[in-house]
Amino acid sequence: MNLEEFRMVFATGSLVLMLIVAAPTLSLIVPFSSGSEHFSEFWVLGPNHMAEGYPFNVRVNESNSVFVGVGNHLGSSAYYLVYVKFRNQTQPLPSATVSEPSPLPTLYEYQVFVADGGTWEAPLTFRVLEASRNDDCMLINLFSINDVVFVVNSSAIWDLECKGFYYQLFIELWLYNTTSQSFHFHNRFVGIWLNMTAT
Amino acid sequence: MSVLKFSFVLLMLLVFASQCYVSVTIAQVSESEASSALTTAEGAVDSAYQAVLRAEEAGANVSGLLVQLNDAGEFLAEARMAYKAGDFGGAVHFADLSRGIGEEVMNEARELKDLTTTESMQRMWFTMTGSILGVACIVFGSFFSWRFFKRRYFNGGFGAEAGGYA
Repeated sequence: MNLEEFRMVFATGSLVLMLIVAAPTLSLIVPFSSGSEHFSEFWVLGPNHMAEGYPFNVRVNESNSVFVGVGNHLGSSAYYLVYVKFRNQTQPLPSATVSEPSPLPTLYEYQVFVADGGTWEAPLTFRVLEASRNDDCMLINLFSINDVVFVVNSSAIWDLECKGFYYQLFIELWLYNTTSQSFHFHNRFVGIWLNMTAT
Repeated sequence: MSVLKFSFVLLMLLVFASQCYVSVTIAQVSESEASSALTTAEGAVDSAYQAVLRAEEAGANVSGLLVQLNDAGEFLAEARMAYKAGDFGGAVHFADLSRGIGEEVMNEARELKDLTTTESMQRMWFTMTGSILGVACIVFGSFFSWRFFKRRYFNGGFGAEAGGYA
């Protein structure tokens, strides 16, 4: 190895050492993106915290419960609104394709703040308080969620194919946008089907 | 006598009408108060969340503040549902609770952000000074090492020929 080659080794070694020593300062100046995908999780679990055993056949005054959860992977703390809505088979669901929430009124709501990488989960206990049946038509008048009573007045026609009076309890996820300083539908919703079996 | 009777009936009617008017007015004031309390609470919670986000961006640990914000959010949701159900008294009560926590969180978040920013600046100056000193040491060290090495090289310390390098 001649002196010129030694000089190259020396210069390269010095440069590498300088970069190592300057790395903490460089990391403050040069922004490094994490490159991970930003998204929110949204789920509903059965009464045993499992994706099974969901309430389906419901009766008047019978208490049923599920768990609603949100996971935040948006890169910063997030402010969510969780809207609980109730519909019969003919009423509209949210539209995932055009990112539109359901126009149905909100019954119950949760307002939650979740740290980045964190999750939030809460029980949702519901009960049909008042319902009446007239031949092939079922009318649910009163519905309670977490012991708050709501007048729903929702009717369902007997489903000949599936044999039942079907309703759906569905939950929408909304996210606070700091730019517009308002909530927007986060294009995520979950729901469970309910068959009103007997009054 | 009939005039007296008429006056009495008129008086009774006026008293009844005024009670109705007063009760309707009170109800309206309560609704507007509830609406105003809700708007104020929503604003306080929104501002608190934004202050928490700024603190988080500055590098602060905001987990404690998020717990408090969740309490504020719970009260705000209760206030909204009470308002929708026509329970304006309940709506004002929960909205005030939510606003109180929101304002508290906002102040704490601002203090935390200032503290974290000061600490970050100190850490940054310490890091930069360390890096600059480190790089300077390496430059000088390399320079003197190279001179020492070159001298040894020409003296044949590495088995090289002294005249090999022009």
